Amino acid sequence: MSTYYDENELDDNVPIKSNVLKRLFSTLRPHWKALLGGVIAIVVVSLLDAYFTILSKRIIDEGIILQNKAAILRLFTIYGAIVLVQAVSVFFFVYLVGLQGEGVRYDLRKNLFNHLQDLSLSYFSKTPLGWIMSRVTSDTEKMAELLTWGVIDTAYAAVSIVVSAIFMLTINWQLAIIVLLSLPVMIYAALKFRLRIYHHYRLSRKANSRMTASLNENITGVRVVKALRREDRNLNDFKVLSSAMYRSSYRAAYLSALFQPTIQMISAVSLGLILWRGGIKVELGAITIGGLQAFVSYIMMILWPIQDLARVYADMQNAVASSERVFSLIDTQPGINNRPDAASVPSLAGDIAFEDVSFRYEEDEPVIRNLSFQIPYGQSVALVGPTGGGKTTIVNLLCRFYEPTEGVIRIAGKDYMDLTLQTIQSRIGVVLQTPHLFSGSIRENIRYGKLDATDQEIEDAAKLAGAHNFITHFEHGYDQNVGEGGNLLSVGQKQLISIARAILSNPDIFVMDEATSSVDTLTEALIQNGMEKLMTGRTSFIIAHRLSTIKNADKILVIRDGQIAESGNHNELMLLKGHYYRLYTQQFRHELESKLDPYSDAPAASETI
Amino acid sequence: MKKHYSEYPPLDPNTVVASKNGLTALWRLMSGYHGHYLLSALMLAISATARAGIYLFLGWFVDHILKESRFGSELLLSAAGFVGLILVQATSSFLSNQLAAQTAESSTRRLRDMLFDHIQRLSFAYHAEVKTGDLLERASSDVDTLRRFISDQAVGVARIITIFIINFTAIMQLNTQLALVSIIIVPVILVVSILFFRKLSKAYEAYQEQEAVISTNLQENLSGVRVVKAFARQTFEIDKFEKNNYEKYKRGRKLNLMHSLFWPISDTFCAAQLVGSNILAAFMAIDGVITLGNYISFTGLLGWLIWPIRNLGRLIVDTSRALVSLKRVTEVLRVAQEPLLEGSYIPAQGVQGSISFDHVSFAYEKDRPVLEDISFECQAGQVVALLGSTGSGKTSLVNLLPRFYDVTAGKILLDGVDLREYPRHYLRSQIGIVEQEPFLFSCSIRDNITYGMTREVSQEEVEEAAREAAIHDVIMEFANGYDTLVGERGVTLSGGQKQRVAIARTLLINPRILILDDSTSSVDMETEVEIRQALQTLMENRTTFIIAHRIQSIMSADLILVFDQGKIVQSGTHDRLIQQTGIYRSIYEIQTRIDSALQEEIDRVHVL
Repeated sequence: MSTYYDENELDDNVPIKSNVLKRLFSTLRPHWKALLGGVIAIVVVSLLDAYFTILSKRIIDEGIILQNKAAILRLFTIYGAIVLVQAVSVFFFVYLVGLQGEGVRYDLRKNLFNHLQDLSLSYFSKTPLGWIMSRVTSDTEKMAELLTWGVIDTAYAAVSIVVSAIFMLTINWQLAIIVLLSLPVMIYAALKFRLRIYHHYRLSRKANSRMTASLNENITGVRVVKALRREDRNLNDFKVLSSAMYRSSYRAAYLSALFQPTIQMISAVSLGLILWRGGIKVELGAITIGGLQAFVSYIMMILWPIQDLARVYADMQNAVASSERVFSLIDTQPGINNRPDAASVPSLAGDIAFEDVSFRYEEDEPVIRNLSFQIPYGQSVALVGPTGGGKTTIVNLLCRFYEPTEGVIRIAGKDYMDLTLQTIQSRIGVVLQTPHLFSGSIRENIRYGKLDATDQEIEDAAKLAGAHNFITHFEHGYDQNVGEGGNLLSVGQKQLISIARAILSNPDIFVMDEATSSVDTLTEALIQNGMEKLMTGRTSFIIAHRLSTIKNADKILVIRDGQIAESGNHNELMLLKGHYYRLYTQQFRHELESKLDPYSDAPAASETI
Repeated sequence: MKKHYSEYPPLDPNTVVASKNGLTALWRLMSGYHGHYLLSALMLAISATARAGIYLFLGWFVDHILKESRFGSELLLSAAGFVGLILVQATSSFLSNQLAAQTAESSTRRLRDMLFDHIQRLSFAYHAEVKTGDLLERASSDVDTLRRFISDQAVGVARIITIFIINFTAIMQLNTQLALVSIIIVPVILVVSILFFRKLSKAYEAYQEQEAVISTNLQENLSGVRVVKAFARQTFEIDKFEKNNYEKYKRGRKLNLMHSLFWPISDTFCAAQLVGSNILAAFMAIDGVITLGNYISFTGLLGWLIWPIRNLGRLIVDTSRALVSLKRVTEVLRVAQEPLLEGSYIPAQGVQGSISFDHVSFAYEKDRPVLEDISFECQAGQVVALLGSTGSGKTSLVNLLPRFYDVTAGKILLDGVDLREYPRHYLRSQIGIVEQEPFLFSCSIRDNITYGMTREVSQEEVEEAAREAAIHDVIMEFANGYDTLVGERGVTLSGGQKQRVAIARTLLINPRILILDDSTSSVDMETEVEIRQALQTLMENRTTFIIAHRIQSIMSADLILVFDQGKIVQSGTHDRLIQQTGIYRSIYEIQTRIDSALQEEIDRVHVL
């Protein structure tokens, strides 16, 4: 799967905002027990880690130097016992933290998905699908990562450093001071390195996405590349991109390679000092050989928690940026809500009226202006006119995907704002221009119209829609898999299934956006037939492209620039010799041409009538 | 032209493809950087040796400085010695990683360029068959897997083995028996870790698969938002997602359980070895077999002997993944390129443009001919119109002219010379193609218009071409004019606008032969007239092949070929064809029928 991101999502120096961080940590609330257990386990692990060094010291001092084999056996028995305790703790912390991580991921995905179901259509029309996808997939991942391993690594690092410091102080405080003084230097260096590495890493991701885009374009446009002999120049252009990728990617790797040795060098200085000063102490009897060895171990060990801390800090920047985006999505208001006293009614059978309806997405840019019309129950309306004139918006208003900025829409006499969304949307059947199916079987897709439908009902609906025939020709019949988004079926077949789906839902109002793309004549006839079945006995709104649909409509509205330019039936409008007359004659030619042309491979005219 | 990239040692893809096994192929991919890589390995060994040296020196320090109480300048010198050893270790470890990274980044960069170039030079037949997504995957994520292999995994395996050998040798120096006892657990750990990581990688795949399911679920839900809302199916959708989401949670839990068992169990194994060896070493130290310093060295060295082995399993499992990626990459490299420069005939006075098809047949697959026995002739500057239904062979025929495909039988002559004698590159420079919905690149409109030009083109020339193509005014309406970007980051052009940009592009190239896909059905009438005029300008003095959809546009053609199922069923001029009964006349008559039907339709309204 390709990930989508804005390039500015990869910017450096995102400030870590404390309120976002607080909210991020509040998502841990349901999992606090697992987290607490994990933290306790990791504290035990790091305490024991530091204690091992003490044990090793005692083995040297009390066992080997004093030539006491019994003490050695005793000390190693303790050592072994502690190993077992530590193993159990490791199990618990890995298990609990992992569990909590999966839990957080699950919660975040669920919350986001559920929230998305409430958002209005206008949100989806202005937000790119890929952007939303990234929020649910990669951002939640980064958040969970910080909340689990970030927390654990911090706990481990902090405890290790503190415990080591205490042990060192008890062994010999003067030597311990030397080590402790080097700590801030190491932490500062580690942090600087991490941030630089991340910076170049982000650059390389940007470069990588440009490179992939260029390759993609060259493959899809290969015919033009070949015809215009662009091979050499395109390779040169690509080399510029691939070398940018090389530079940032190499830079990140170079810094990574330099990172650990640098920290090590800083620690080497304190190690040298310890051995020199420590040697003198041994002479004075202020420290044992085992004690000195313990210091050496602590210095070598302390490198790791410091690097962990630096990494967590850098990750935290990313996670906070991710959280901010995720929270902004969660905070988006649904836009279209039920009114507090909204009523549900069992049926929407009744006249439909638009009264002085205006709609705009943005101030001063009305899409629909002062629209008024009335449709008696059971009649059909054909909306015709140029693309962008506002036909789709009218239909979206009717379905209450959008709400009027001004004016009132009445269904059966009631202002539809006084009804619940559920009432309206479950009583309207919609067939879209580009039919959308879900992966799964044909049966499941038709059942979408009525979840408790029996197989018989599904078959009846398919028969009415004229889809039954082609469905039974599939190897698995109704259980045939339609593929992702239905792409194993042809456009015509998808449309028939979506008609069956609408028939099954038995709506009071039927809305259809006729397809402009051409389907074969037989399917075309089936679709027309299915539509007619759907139109009988209910009010229907058709964004119409086909002459027969238009001519048969009870009322035709010619929509231009968000207004009704002409309205009436076919005959009345033809006599006007206005917009409708021109649209009709043009479409008449196109349709006949494609019907009569033995080579009707050209797609039917898309100029909408 | 200014270059924004540095050069690198060349590599012939054939040497990579010719390798007998995967590791040889990988080695050859790194050619030019072998020195770097070997040096990186050497540095790795030095680093490991220095690290072992630190522990040995620590032991010596205890025995000879601390125990023998030499606390004068020797103590200071020893302390400096430690710092020196760490310096050596750190520096060599840095160099090793840096050299490995340089090898990996440089050779993958070259591989990326190589693949890009190779792919664009593969034949048309290959591109028609292969899926873009798959090809992209191979050129990006598979290459990245190889990069990681070179920089991390191969180096990682080498590091662990080197560290093992050097630490083992160091312990051998201290005491042979101790060394042998200390590696008892190693084979066990190795086998367990390989088995575990193999299992883990399967569980991980299952987890990733579920991730893909979730993505698909989400994507379908988002793109079908109107359907979900129209049927008020939010609850249903939430339940469906919940099921998939929970399944991922379960798989994640399983993965997690595996991790949480493996690490402590293998820890315990390693610790058992550690305790056993340490007791032995401590007793030896008491018995005077080894010194106290030896013991201290040993405890340090032992850790580096055992713990890294656990990761070896993971690295080995990852290696098999790299080999799979390598195979997918070499599969692409193995496909033969189109020899663009093959052929020797380049006419001194340039191409004139007379073309003759001599019993030409063509098939994409054996025994399924797409064109059969096609013969016709046309003079330079004439217009040939091709008429026929989809799949009748029109497009296949024009694809033969720039040699996107070669004839299977018969021959095509250009100015009396077989097409196959012209180098493809030269031939293509003489042919312009304007498709129904041309492909534009996501660069500026100017760059798209000058896309086929090998020389610098002045703004005046670009504008003149755009004017002739009737697109100049449209371009000037954009805020950035000719600098407006096309595609996702800029403006979306309509089909008709794209077509006119392609006409301008072709006007600049000024080819002798023209291939037009004459379909104007997706534009309004005004634009249609404009495009028609632009096409007329373009066709002047060029041999033109038109794939025609309507009769009006081909009435003046010098030769009309009517195709049916790969054969020419009618040919001649409009005036001649109109005399014959056949497909052509029936198409022609449709126009008049439409006019009268429309009149009837209108009259019917008036009567009512």
